[in-house]
Amino acid sequence: MRARSAFFAGMGSAAIIAIGWQAGVGTLVSALPESQASASGTSNSASSATTSNSSTSTTDTSAAAPAATTAPVASGPADGTYDGSVVNTRFGTVQVQAVISGGKITDVIAVKLTDADRKSIAISQQVAPMVRSEVLTAQSAHVANISGGTYTTQAYLQSLQSALDAAGFTG
Amino acid sequence: MAVHSFETMGTMVSIRIADADLGTIDAIPVLNEVEHNFAQLNETFSLYREDSEASRIASGELALADSSELMRDEYARALQWRDRTGGAFTPHRPDDVIDLSGTIKAVAIDQAAGILTEAGFANFSVNVGGDLTTAGNQAEDIPGWITGIVEPSDRNTLLAAVRLTEEFPAMATSGSAERGEHIWLRPETTKEFVQASVIANDIITADVLATAIISGGSETLNQITQDFSVAVVTVGLDGAVQANAKFQELVAR
Repeated sequence: MRARSAFFAGMGSAAIIAIGWQAGVGTLVSALPESQASASGTSNSASSATTSNSSTSTTDTSAAAPAATTAPVASGPADGTYDGSVVNTRFGTVQVQAVISGGKITDVIAVKLTDADRKSIAISQQVAPMVRSEVLTAQSAHVANISGGTYTTQAYLQSLQSALDAAGFTG
Repeated sequence: MAVHSFETMGTMVSIRIADADLGTIDAIPVLNEVEHNFAQLNETFSLYREDSEASRIASGELALADSSELMRDEYARALQWRDRTGGAFTPHRPDDVIDLSGTIKAVAIDQAAGILTEAGFANFSVNVGGDLTTAGNQAEDIPGWITGIVEPSDRNTLLAAVRLTEEFPAMATSGSAERGEHIWLRPETTKEFVQASVIANDIITADVLATAIISGGSETLNQITQDFSVAVVTVGLDGAVQANAKFQELVAR
């Protein structure tokens, strides 16, 4: 259990980002570590999920929001809040802010999600770009199965899955 | 945890049985039955076997109308999924050959889980080449089954780890980098995603929808997340990750 507690701490900021995306930034603090067991509850209501902060600055229209948010990290930025590019999609514009602290992304704030019409808002809530390194950081402890494409037998033998098999992994 | 692995349908099956279920039931005859069931479905539906019923239909030797009830039922099932995905998933190859491998593997996983459950097992996973369904818990102190998703740009690392539980026990990942022989891009679609993972209440839904997202792109992705209760994570050609709220709930923490 000790290892898992440490993982909770590590995942804190990731959870913030994840929930921040779906609910705006205000409600998420209560949803952190301890609520893990009830993760199946649906918080998927259809209410508007738009903006938390208004933002100024950057209006270059590059193609991909995630690249815009991760790029500053790779170059070792100073602490602060960085505006992502405004990205035009067919459903409207999207912009996020990344909060950097200690060289890591500690939060991602949706400044603007698409709101061209109600359907677009629904889409924004359902699938959103995510910051890979923070939100999806994998914790390999306790992983019992691997999902990933259809392995050929040969590829399988080289895969993480077979490594788990060979180790007699016991969870 | 005990692991039983065997090869079928051109890939590997790994069946994991949690400690809680070991010792109470003789697993060997049950696992034999599972293995036999995979083999039978493969014999009927594989297009890699010249003597299979599917190959005889493909060659014109056997008319679909004269095929077995099983064949026609599975074809009907695949056609339903074609309609439910707006055509993004289809059992028809570009050369018009009927290829049901896109659903049959998932059907086989589903039936394997059924056989295990019927035999009294309550805590297990059935993983076939990275598509899997689960039941119960992997260990007494680990609820559900923690499942890693491969990072498509580096297959030795994980993109994410999720916890599969009773409500969302099944997961499938499709990738255009892998053996994509049952994925055909629609002519009007350019490739948008290198990998799509779908977590659903059953493995057939998960498998079909993961394939459909690769095939149909973001339009299909948006349709699926609105029409189905599923968790989805995708990786774009540029490496960008997208996920829906349900996926974020399932991330193992």
